[in-house]
Amino acid sequence: MSKFSRRDVVKGGLTVASLSALPVGIPGLAWGATENEKIIAAAKGAGGGDLKGMIWSNYYVAMTPSMERFKQATGIGVGSIQDISIFVIPQRAMAEALSRSPEFDFFHVDSNMIPSLASAGLLEPLDGYMKKADFSIDAVGTYGNFMRYKGNTYGVPTDGNVHVQFTRKDLMENPDEQKRFEDKHGKKLAYPVTWEDDQQLMEFFHRPDQELWGSANLRNRANGVTWWYMYFYSAGGFPFDDDMNPTLDTPAGRYAVETYLNIKKVSHPEAPGWGTPQMIPRITTGKAFACQYWDGIIALNENPKKSKTAGKWHYSLAPGSKFSGKLIHRAISSPLGAILVNKYSKNKEKAAYMAMWWGSLKNSEEIVADRVNTFHDPWHTGHMTSDAVKTAYTPGGIAAIETSLKVASPPIYLTGYLEFQDQLAKNLSEAYVGQKKADRVLKDTEEAWAKIVKRIGKRRLKKELGSYKAVFPKVDVPT
Amino acid sequence: MATEAAAAIPGEIRAGKREMTQARAVRRFKWSVLSVFIALMVGVLGPVLFLQLYFSFHDFSIYLGSWWDAEFAGLEIFEEVVTDPRLGIAIVRSVLFAAGSTLGCFVIGFGLALLMYRPFRGQALFYIVFILPMLTVPIVIAYTGEMLLYQKGPLNDVLSWISGQDVNVIWLANARMALTTVMLLEIWNWVPFSFIIMIAGLASLPKEPQEAAQILGASKWRIFLEIQLPLLRPVIILAIILRFLEAMAEFPKAWSLFQGGPGSATETIPIYLYITTWQYFEVSKGAAMSYVVMMIMIAIVLAAIYFLRREKRALDEMYGAADEDRAG
Repeated sequence: MSKFSRRDVVKGGLTVASLSALPVGIPGLAWGATENEKIIAAAKGAGGGDLKGMIWSNYYVAMTPSMERFKQATGIGVGSIQDISIFVIPQRAMAEALSRSPEFDFFHVDSNMIPSLASAGLLEPLDGYMKKADFSIDAVGTYGNFMRYKGNTYGVPTDGNVHVQFTRKDLMENPDEQKRFEDKHGKKLAYPVTWEDDQQLMEFFHRPDQELWGSANLRNRANGVTWWYMYFYSAGGFPFDDDMNPTLDTPAGRYAVETYLNIKKVSHPEAPGWGTPQMIPRITTGKAFACQYWDGIIALNENPKKSKTAGKWHYSLAPGSKFSGKLIHRAISSPLGAILVNKYSKNKEKAAYMAMWWGSLKNSEEIVADRVNTFHDPWHTGHMTSDAVKTAYTPGGIAAIETSLKVASPPIYLTGYLEFQDQLAKNLSEAYVGQKKADRVLKDTEEAWAKIVKRIGKRRLKKELGSYKAVFPKVDVPT
Repeated sequence: MATEAAAAIPGEIRAGKREMTQARAVRRFKWSVLSVFIALMVGVLGPVLFLQLYFSFHDFSIYLGSWWDAEFAGLEIFEEVVTDPRLGIAIVRSVLFAAGSTLGCFVIGFGLALLMYRPFRGQALFYIVFILPMLTVPIVIAYTGEMLLYQKGPLNDVLSWISGQDVNVIWLANARMALTTVMLLEIWNWVPFSFIIMIAGLASLPKEPQEAAQILGASKWRIFLEIQLPLLRPVIILAIILRFLEAMAEFPKAWSLFQGGPGSATETIPIYLYITTWQYFEVSKGAAMSYVVMMIMIAIVLAAIYFLRREKRALDEMYGAADEDRAG
């Protein structure tokens, strides 16, 4: 007689089956090992050594303590970096792709460059290494898809840049203002839900004579286009049809251009020349009523040592649009700082583990919650409940970031991202400053885009459409 | 014997031999200097230019494989470049920018040189002050300029104070003003260049004609107009052409302040070239554009050489005539 019942055999079989599904590449690891322990165990198999990265020191400084710990644990550290702005790393990384250089082991770059850099043959897929370390990107909503392209994972995020609505709470909650607004518009003063609400509020509070401008949204050539995507996507637009023909000159596209240009009424006259270095001080010194801005500014805003408006802001989801017949919210995420690994590097495995180490909950929490070096913003599900992160971003700020991440959308997530974007940016900027008629913006952009599609290859880009669409959120109104 | 033999050689032959030896030495010196440049050209610039030429004739896309596998495109890429209206506008913008800034640099630089070329107490200090902008890194000039040029910045304040009116020029965000803004910064940056050349030119002018005119009662203005200015023409042309060529290539200030914007107001040749090559990654088009631009620049240089030679000939003739008069 067997001592085991049939149920015991089935249970035992299930246990064996589930154990066999566990990662096999982490020898000698105790049951219940933490995420960091698993990464260390896998990295030890790759051997020690110093890596060379291309990363902006504004980002790197906050990552150094965790790097040092990884070096102590595994012998893998960062020996040197090329310290250049994240905005010029795409160009430099592409030069590395052109020369197929093994010089750099990793690049910290806007993840929207993944399709272009992968197409240029520079990027190493990380899935194999992630499996070895039993690592997964635990991002809010579908945010982790920003790292994926054509079925592979090419990056680990460090900075979850997403646009959040900033509205001046002190003005919104002022009873006199509430009465004046109600008298003027016949409705209660409320935080904006749609772009139209946002425009109305900005116009109401636009008081240049009191050094208060309605909007602090950027409208320079380099950044202004970022806002346009939000208007366009939330109106139900998508920039290409299934045959890769540009579909910008559509009702959604025209709505987006109109919304984009309307802001001029409530913007500072110098806005077409201003980027973040000029606009951020205006936000923190109280010279703006509202804007959609990168979430990192919340930490700056709420730091009384650096901001005159600490405690005066209300953070929420960026407005949406009912243009398509239903309310859709889309918050842009660009640039999203991520570590990408050089395929030509001899240290690619080590660099992959380094990236995972920085992307683990424990380490990324420390990086994101840094009150001095505020270049990394929350993205991990664990950041949303972290006390340290909440202290830096305020509970209200974190709530806004979490809902925004759930509807985070990319710019053009295709090979040729920068080309597509600059053509659109140039035309929008020309219309904003009066060099071009508004109705030419989309027509001219479509013409230019058609040429780009032809140059890069329609067939190739059609294959990428799936990855582009997969980055989009699955919800329209996040809770 | 040797002395006798030497004495037997006529003086003319000896002088001729000396001239030949001198000429050989000069030639040898020339080649020793030139050979370094030629080696650099062949060894460093040569491969780059050749590679650029290769890209110009091959339809290379960074996304479609290796550059050595790129398809031969004949003159197609050049055709695309010369029919690109955006490049045409960029050329016009660059020429306007270069012409405006060169004129500004020259007028101010020449004016300062006229004030400074005669020695006076404290001259060295002024020299240093005037030359400082040229020694400043262009990117620093751009950022300093930015801080000065905000609508509520110090420059508008100073202009308001001087004019007694509220001056609110939008230097950095107005599409009609942006190129002028870069031009003004370029002028401030490079006035010393024109100043140095013109002060050297003024200092090297022969004194005799000026003194003679003075004795004959000519006014300072007339001396300047009829003696100094004509004698300075080759120097003026040189200063203008060198500055113009340099201004055509201006990139750091325009890029750091405007990145081609607002709109496309500051999209000059170097900016458009950079965008094409390093933002659009159209390496082949960028290479072909570089060649087209290089041809334009070579044409400008050849025209400059022609004018300089003509001026030199005219001066040589003038001095020759003067020498003959003196001899007569």
